[in-house]
Amino acid sequence: MRVYYKSTYTYKFYCYLIKEIGKLVSTLGNIVLFGIEFLKGLSSKPTTFREIIEQSSRFGVSSLPITLSIVGMTSVIVAMQVAGEMVKQGGGNYVGMLISILMVREEAAIMAGFAIISMIGSSLASEIATMKVTEQIDAIQVLKVNPIHYLFTPRIIAGTIMMPLVVVISSAIGILGGAIASNVVSGLSFKAYFDSVWFGLNMHDLKVCIIKSIAFGFVITLISCSCGMEAKDGAKGVGLATTKAVVWSFVAIVIVDLLFAAAFFY
Amino acid sequence: MGIEVKNLVKSFNNKVILDDISFKVNDGKILSIVGFSGSGKSTVLKLISGLIEKDSGEIITSGGDIAMVFQYSALFDSLNVFDNISFALRERKDLRGKYTERELKKIVAEKLELVGLSGIENKFPSELSGGMQKRVSFARAIVTEPKIILYDEPTAGLDPISSTLIEDYIVRLKNETHAASIVVTHQMSTIRRTADSVLMLYNGHAVFEGTPDELCKEETPYTKQFVEAALEGPMKMN
Repeated sequence: MRVYYKSTYTYKFYCYLIKEIGKLVSTLGNIVLFGIEFLKGLSSKPTTFREIIEQSSRFGVSSLPITLSIVGMTSVIVAMQVAGEMVKQGGGNYVGMLISILMVREEAAIMAGFAIISMIGSSLASEIATMKVTEQIDAIQVLKVNPIHYLFTPRIIAGTIMMPLVVVISSAIGILGGAIASNVVSGLSFKAYFDSVWFGLNMHDLKVCIIKSIAFGFVITLISCSCGMEAKDGAKGVGLATTKAVVWSFVAIVIVDLLFAAAFFY
Repeated sequence: MGIEVKNLVKSFNNKVILDDISFKVNDGKILSIVGFSGSGKSTVLKLISGLIEKDSGEIITSGGDIAMVFQYSALFDSLNVFDNISFALRERKDLRGKYTERELKKIVAEKLELVGLSGIENKFPSELSGGMQKRVSFARAIVTEPKIILYDEPTAGLDPISSTLIEDYIVRLKNETHAASIVVTHQMSTIRRTADSVLMLYNGHAVFEGTPDELCKEETPYTKQFVEAALEGPMKMN
């Protein structure tokens, strides 16, 4: 009896799996290639100062209010949940330290990263994807301008410059939000809170926070631009590219975060 | 010399799109490539402009720049008309810094005058009609004085009067630049008004090559079906 294995669910499942893995590897490969091309282009001054300022303004200024709100509220939520309990248990002197370390080492960067991906990463991806499907990128190529250098460079430079700035300001707002919430919830004085902050925080934390933010800025802008560049098939393709950019960026910054935690705090 | 294409072959996903296509366009002449949708017309332009790689064959040009006018203009919608036209002069590695702002303004004004659109430098593409966008894309294409100009369905989606205007500008640009031009089109009016010669493609093969007059007069099944826009004939729609 002949078995028509091609019609079995197992065969179809493996085909689907192989196809998806292929797509995954292809996207990853393209991101790496685009990254290499971006680095190559840096030597030839492919962008103007004006472009970098424009992109930085978009990256930093426009995303700052929402990022600060998210990080500020996160710290308030954490303080509301732990400050009262810690003060009751006699650990009030550690509340500032706990919240500041949480903010500087982890929360500010990751929450700002998520906010930036949602606002800026998706916008970068859809902008470049629209240019791709409307042949604007082909037009750039025909005019003998390298689209990677022209489109990626100012955006990635802006991302790597502005991300640490956004994260440092967010950390400060987070620590301040924690102070207010701790004071309201448990009556912890601002002096006790900030004494604890200065005691707990050190320059190493701040340095790691800045380096990690630079890595986040680079990864988010590179992935968003790359996913936009891979778009095809009209409006649907733009939507898919944007979704892909957001999902890949989320996963990528969590992986980068994990690597930093393992490298600096393990 | 213009441009010469010899035995060009291109496939996508094992499907042959162009099979052994050859033609020649001299400087100051216009070749019109016609055929059904999906017959490989635009692929020829993409191969010549270097947007995609050929499988085999030769594309010989006399050197100099190759410009392309896209079907839907492909103007950069975040830039105004001035920045669109001066784009290559500002951003191209070999031209960057070569022109002062004053020179750029002069060049852009000249090109806009050539396409009959003086004074719209500060407008954005979204503020222009389809015909005007097309003419701005002409100006952008000729800003680097190209030796070859490729037009991908330049009159698609335009009303008859705008189409006639665009056709007149194609001829005018040919006379002004003496570039070898290739116009991909479906429209008989564009062929009649602009082309010096015509190449008809079907299923990746060249099925006719001659002048526009010969296209209209010759009684081969392919030319007859195309000119009469008949459903019956050797060419079947996919």
